[in-house]
Amino acid sequence: MRCLGAWVLGCLGALVLCAGSAAFAQNAEAPALRKHRVTASGGVTWSGSYPIGEATATYRTNAPGNTPPPFTLFSAASTVDAVAGIEGRVGFTVTPDLAVEAGVSFARPRVGIVIASDAEVAPHALEGEELQQYIVDAGAVWQLPLRLSRRVRPFVTGGAGYLRQLHQERTLVETGQVYYAGGGLRYWLRGGSGATRSFGLRADARAMWKRDGVDFEDRTRLFPVVSVFAFMGF
Amino acid sequence: MRPAVAWLLACAVTVGAQSPVSAYLKLGSSINGRITDVSWQQQPIRYFVTERDGPGVTAAELRGAIGRATATWQNASGANVRFEFLGSTSAPPGEVDGRTTLGFLDRPDLDRVLGATSFLIDTTNGAIVEADVFFNTRFTWSVSAQGDAGRVDLESVALHELGHLLGLGHSALGETERTSTGGRRVVASGAVMFPIAMTSGAIADRTLQPDDIAGVADLYPAAGQLDSTGGITGRVTKNGQGLLGAHVVAFNPETGAIVGNFALNMDGEFAIVRLAPGPYVLRVEPLDDADVESYFSTAIDVDFRVTYAPRAVVAPRGGSSSPIEIKVQPK
Repeated sequence: MRCLGAWVLGCLGALVLCAGSAAFAQNAEAPALRKHRVTASGGVTWSGSYPIGEATATYRTNAPGNTPPPFTLFSAASTVDAVAGIEGRVGFTVTPDLAVEAGVSFARPRVGIVIASDAEVAPHALEGEELQQYIVDAGAVWQLPLRLSRRVRPFVTGGAGYLRQLHQERTLVETGQVYYAGGGLRYWLRGGSGATRSFGLRADARAMWKRDGVDFEDRTRLFPVVSVFAFMGF
Repeated sequence: MRPAVAWLLACAVTVGAQSPVSAYLKLGSSINGRITDVSWQQQPIRYFVTERDGPGVTAAELRGAIGRATATWQNASGANVRFEFLGSTSAPPGEVDGRTTLGFLDRPDLDRVLGATSFLIDTTNGAIVEADVFFNTRFTWSVSAQGDAGRVDLESVALHELGHLLGLGHSALGETERTSTGGRRVVASGAVMFPIAMTSGAIADRTLQPDDIAGVADLYPAAGQLDSTGGITGRVTKNGQGLLGAHVVAFNPETGAIVGNFALNMDGEFAIVRLAPGPYVLRVEPLDDADVESYFSTAIDVDFRVTYAPRAVVAPRGGSSSPIEIKVQPK
C-alpha cells in the first residue's frame, strides 16, 4: 500500500512537472485531435498487484461460554498479482481538447495465496489460481491546454467501468465495478494539426479503484495501471 | 413387503475418548455391496421424549433442550429438515417399538459415553425406520443458558446426537491432545459433529458450524440447494499411489467456512459437496487427532506431512471442480 501511495504521488508529481515545464511553451500551437472524429487506440497495459483479503481458518476452542476464543488452524493472505494485458480504446473528439472514449481490456492475473500461522507447515506461497479478467469502461479525456513540445501534449482522464473476472477453468464468474483517474501524454508521429488524420503513441498512468469482483473482503481496492498505445485519429 | 431391518448401535459422543466414527459426514449402510446413505425418507421426523428426570435436569427441561436442538437443525440453511414432537413416553430409549425416543438412560458401564444414537434401518434402501437417543445418567447435566461449570450441557449433546439421528456421522475437524490417563482432550473443534465433547460448562456447541450444515444440506437438500452450491473433487496421492484416509479440509477465505472430508477409496479420491460457490484453500492432513481404528476398519497411512493443494480450487455453482491432485510427502 505504501508503494501504491508513492506511485500515485509520483504520477501527480509528474503531471505537475509536465504542467510546469509546459507553461513557457504555451505560445506555440499545441497538437490536437480532429474535432468530431473518431480516434482508435490499441496497446498493452500493466496492472499492479493489490490485496484481496486475509482470512484465518479457525476452530472453536474448548472453553466455557458461548463465544470462546478461536483456535487458529492457518491463515491465508491473498493478492491479485501484477499482470500485463491488452487494451483497446475508441474515442470521439467532442472538442479539440475533450474526447469521450470507451475501452476494453483483457488480462490473466493470478490470485496468489500465502499460507501462514499453521503449526505444522512453514509459511509458504501457493502457486495461485489464474483468472480471466475483462474490463469494459467509458470515460473522458481532456487534453490540457499545454504543449510540451511540437508533438507532445499531456492529458488527464477519468471514467468508470464494468469488471468481469472468471475463475480458473471458467467455472465461476464474479463481477464488479472499476473507477479510474489519471493522466498521460500523447505523442504525434504524424498529423496533430487538427485538420488531418493523425497517428502517434499514447501513454497513460491511472489509479484504479475496484469494487467487488474476486475479493474476500467487502472493500474497495486501489491499484496502478500503466498503458502504452498506438493511436490513429481519423 | 415387509422391510428388512437392522438394529445398529452407532455414534456416541464421548468424553476424552474415541468412539467408532463413520467416515465423513454421513452414515452409510451396505446394500448389495454398495454404500448407501442412511437417512429419513419421510418427514416430519416424529419423536417422543421420556418423561423421566435426569441428574440435574427435569423431564420438562429435557423436552425444552431437545426442542431447541431440533429447531437448530430445522433452521440449518440449505437443508429441509422437519421434526414433530409427539409427546412424552415412559418407554426408555433403545427399545425396538417403532417409536423414535430420546431420553435419559442408566448406562454406568459406559463411563465415557455422554450419549448415543441407535437406528432401525430398512436395509433395502437405507431408510431410517426408528432412531433412539439416550443421555447417560452417569453424568450430571445442565440446561443453564450460560452453561454450568462441572455439568454437561444437555442442548449441545442433544444437537450432536440429533445430527446422528438425521444420518450424519462424525466429523474429523478438530484438534486434540493426549491426557495423562491415555484419553484425548479436545483443544478445538470445527464441527458440532466432532466425536469428543467440549469441557463441562461449554455451550458453544449449541450452534451448528459450516461442516455440520454442509452435511445436513447434503442429506436433505432444500429446494434449489443443488443448483446454488458446488463441490470440489480430487485425489490425494503419496509416491504416485492413492492415499486412503487422508483428511481433506476445505477453507473458504471469503466466508471463513471450513468443511472436511476423507479420501475414501484406495485411489485416494475425495469429494466435498454443498459448498458455497467460490475459491477454497485445501489442506490435507493425516488422522492424528484420533485413533485411526476409530475411523477406518482397514489400516490407513498416516505417515505424511500436512500439505496444501498447490492452488485455490473453485467450487462452481451447481457443479463440481475438475479433479485436483494433491501430492503429499512422507514425514
